[in-house]
Amino acid sequence: MIKLLEAAQPGFKPPGSGDFIFQPIFGHSLLATKPVVLLFFSVILISTFFIISARKAAVVPSKLQFAGEAVYGFVRDGIGKDVIGEEFQRFVPFLFTIFTFILTNNLFGVIPLMQFPTMSHIGFPVSITIFVYFVYHYVAIKKHGLGKYLKDMCFMPGIPKPMYILLAPLEFLTYFAIRPLTLAMRLFGNMFAGHLLLMLFTLGGEYLLGSAWFLKIFSAISFSLAVGLSFFEMGIQCLQAYIFTLLVALYIAGALADEH
Amino acid sequence: MAGNEEGALWSIFGYLISGLVIWGAIGWALDHWLHSHFFLLGGLLLGAGASLYLVWLRFGQK
Repeated sequence: MIKLLEAAQPGFKPPGSGDFIFQPIFGHSLLATKPVVLLFFSVILISTFFIISARKAAVVPSKLQFAGEAVYGFVRDGIGKDVIGEEFQRFVPFLFTIFTFILTNNLFGVIPLMQFPTMSHIGFPVSITIFVYFVYHYVAIKKHGLGKYLKDMCFMPGIPKPMYILLAPLEFLTYFAIRPLTLAMRLFGNMFAGHLLLMLFTLGGEYLLGSAWFLKIFSAISFSLAVGLSFFEMGIQCLQAYIFTLLVALYIAGALADEH
Repeated sequence: MAGNEEGALWSIFGYLISGLVIWGAIGWALDHWLHSHFFLLGGLLLGAGASLYLVWLRFGQK
């Protein structure tokens, strides 16, 4: 089928999942591929930004300090305090790290020269999700004990007893499998699809530019769509970082709650 | 749970998926074991019903 399609269109080769695989920039180590280099760069970038913005902390903030505090305040009040409630303070560093880390790595997708959202490689969202998975189960087990945690999770009070046969496995699967799976897949899927879309319009525009004269008009349309979609993608990238952090906060809040 | 709409949306989505997955899997296993053909469909319908019931319990009563 794929061979047939390629034979039917000898010219334009649309971008695919193969375009997400990179050769090492130098040497032969996997650690030198573009996504990993971007990942390390993001850590340096985030650390530098917040260290500089916090170093000369003053009562009357500089512009940089204001920017840093705005992001911090957004995560602390907008996500932590609103969702988790009373005990939010000790989870703020965790939420803040997740938010800035994902946001920076997502935004790499539209920054010229980098142009690759690290999170479109599924290994990265999965790694973050593994951390989250252990944190929210640990928090719950530490607070309620394993037995009570499982009981509260699977047996919701106030419904007829036979219904538990139907609902208990469902709740269990949701907490232990579906939640982490959807958390990782949503971030990965959004970044993967967005990057593919941008590649399609950019490569398409480039290909049309080299075609017959009347197709060059469509090349301009394709390029302008690529630019327009880049701004759209920027929105998605911020939104996905926000949703990921919000859901982590919700899971922690659920783990701390007395009744699920 | 906090009354956050975005969070509720994704929780509902998760429940709907897990209802289909777990009861669909049980139905499929029964079919496989008994060499029948109707438990998968029955399981999927039961799972869909169960997850809708759970969503109603969690989010529909307030």
